[in-house]
Amino acid sequence: MIERNVTVRNRAGLHTRPAAALVKLAAKFKSEIFLIRDGFSINAKSIIGVMTLAAEQGCELVLKINGFDESNAVDELAEFFESGFGEQ
Amino acid sequence: MIGEKTSKIFPVSLLGAQHPAKNESDELVLKGIPSSPGIAFGKAFVLKPEVLIIPNIQIPPEKIPNEIERLESGLQAMINEIQTALDKVKSESQNISAILETNLLILNDEYILNSIRERIKNCFSAESAVIQEYDNQIKFFKNSMDNILQERSYELEHLRDKLLANIRKKITSYKIPENSIIVAQAITPTDVVNFKESKVKGIITEAGGIASHSSLLARSFEIPSVIGVRDALKLIKRKDCVLIDGYAGLITINPCDESKKLFEERISKESSHKRELGELIKLPSITLDGVPIKLLANIDSPDDVKSAILVDSDGIGLVRTENLVMSLKRFPDEEEQFTWYKEIADRAYPNPVVLRAFDIGSDKYLEGLPHLEKNPALGFRGIRFLLHREDIFSNQLRAFLRASANKNLKIMLPMISTISEIEQSKAILEKCKNELREKDIPFDINVPLGIMIETPSAALLADRFAEVVDFFSIGTNDLTQYTLAVDRSNELVTDLYDTFHPSVLKLIKGIVDAAKSRKIPVSICGELAGHAAATNFLVGIGIDELSVPPVILLELKKRIRELKFKKAKKTAKDIISSSSSSDLMKLLEII
Repeated sequence: MIERNVTVRNRAGLHTRPAAALVKLAAKFKSEIFLIRDGFSINAKSIIGVMTLAAEQGCELVLKINGFDESNAVDELAEFFESGFGEQ
Repeated sequence: MIGEKTSKIFPVSLLGAQHPAKNESDELVLKGIPSSPGIAFGKAFVLKPEVLIIPNIQIPPEKIPNEIERLESGLQAMINEIQTALDKVKSESQNISAILETNLLILNDEYILNSIRERIKNCFSAESAVIQEYDNQIKFFKNSMDNILQERSYELEHLRDKLLANIRKKITSYKIPENSIIVAQAITPTDVVNFKESKVKGIITEAGGIASHSSLLARSFEIPSVIGVRDALKLIKRKDCVLIDGYAGLITINPCDESKKLFEERISKESSHKRELGELIKLPSITLDGVPIKLLANIDSPDDVKSAILVDSDGIGLVRTENLVMSLKRFPDEEEQFTWYKEIADRAYPNPVVLRAFDIGSDKYLEGLPHLEKNPALGFRGIRFLLHREDIFSNQLRAFLRASANKNLKIMLPMISTISEIEQSKAILEKCKNELREKDIPFDINVPLGIMIETPSAALLADRFAEVVDFFSIGTNDLTQYTLAVDRSNELVTDLYDTFHPSVLKLIKGIVDAAKSRKIPVSICGELAGHAAATNFLVGIGIDELSVPPVILLELKKRIRELKFKKAKKTAKDIISSSSSSDLMKLLEII
């Protein structure tokens, strides 16, 4: 199991469109992927779950990944956060 | 209408015209939030909402397979409906299909669906299970401090209701007559696509927000739309004649002949005006070699936003908020300011709006307020006055913050000349944010804070200021007057007032370089921005944004579209290094 801290970088936050892209990316991996905000944990493959995090710009989250492709998953997902989900 | 200026500086809502009494002709004016610009009139087509369903209807265990089946077939019907809409807009734009695709993702969310199936297996009807699960999720959205995420709760509610209707096979297919104005409680993005197909003229809803996906679609389809209209379903009857003003958020039901005539004149004026402006409106502001330059508008009141929208500006680069003080002849309280700023932010949404804090003093002397000064331009004005009157400054900052909830506002400080003025302002802004947090009032916690660069001191220290603020806007009028020590209102020296003076151009170049090296945006909002001879130079030194009066925005766009960035860059370099004024004039193509 791997855990990594990530930060929401884009101005608009983790709203619908980035949430959709994140879920699609997470679905590529076989591992179980969770996102945790202040102890509140959701499945990163559920779009509604990701949206309920209501993560705004600057918000810090923990990625918790468990499975055989966990190391690839954590790198790709962390990078996606770092890039601001491809938004400004 | 370009150049149109009304003396009325307040939005109607502030004057208490919310739902005024009926007059003889049964005319009724309603006020909502303008969510998609444009004006139109047509006949009301009222969509009645579904009857409420009770969320805890129990079923006997033998009915479970049947309820699961109802869920799955309702779901499939709704997915098909969205898919059909998606096929219709696929060619239009990626943004539009992305919205419908996220709706599909939400409906297909396995975790939510499994949870709904679980609830059915615990002997709840399909409808009850859907309501329980969706409402459980909606709760989280509603509790968010983030306005845009709160907005998404409405979208979930719409999806929930549509899904319920599909499960109950209550989808009544209706044919919308042409020239209809839709009146609904709420609508989904799929509805908007269908409205467009039916050539709907306008959309009025009771619920919804300007950041919603439905509003976004209405804007991209250019269907005038007003949302948040209280009691619209009660007050508007089928086939009522309705005028909709998507700029101001006003709806007139059963207008009297005079209102109708005025409105028809407005529509024909607007369409002829659009024809005059020609195809330039929809073309991007981009140089021949592909460098984009954002074009924004300088405005003085909510009514001016319309002129900015008509010329398709990228936003509002400067709101001179002191105009509110001038027109009232006193300082407005926080509530009055909030209404005014919110009105501007809503009308311009989703484009950004830069609100400049009161620039009181100097030539904008307010009677009874700052002191009568010998030399007001060098005196108690802009940020100096604001920091001295923290009560006034805090009121304004709180009003700014409250209006920023949809994240399209930026705050700008006038007349900065030292770093401590920025630090003190930031401390006051932080205090205001804390006050709002304590009261659970939503605002944009990351609202960008920028400064005007209009004193030589700020220009020379721009590299340091760039480290502590989010953007610069160059005020070329004051920068010229202070750099050349020429009072622009003193006619004995006006011939010495020259914005193209090499010293001024050199300072502007330095400011732009400082902003670039810290990667913060820099714009120009002074007269130089719109000056025909300056465009080449400004583009050449790498300016990102120009903010000008709406009337000259399209001319500026035309010039930009005829420029080559590479060539402009070289000319700008020559201009900066030229020492004689006549060389300079030649380079600027003034002579």
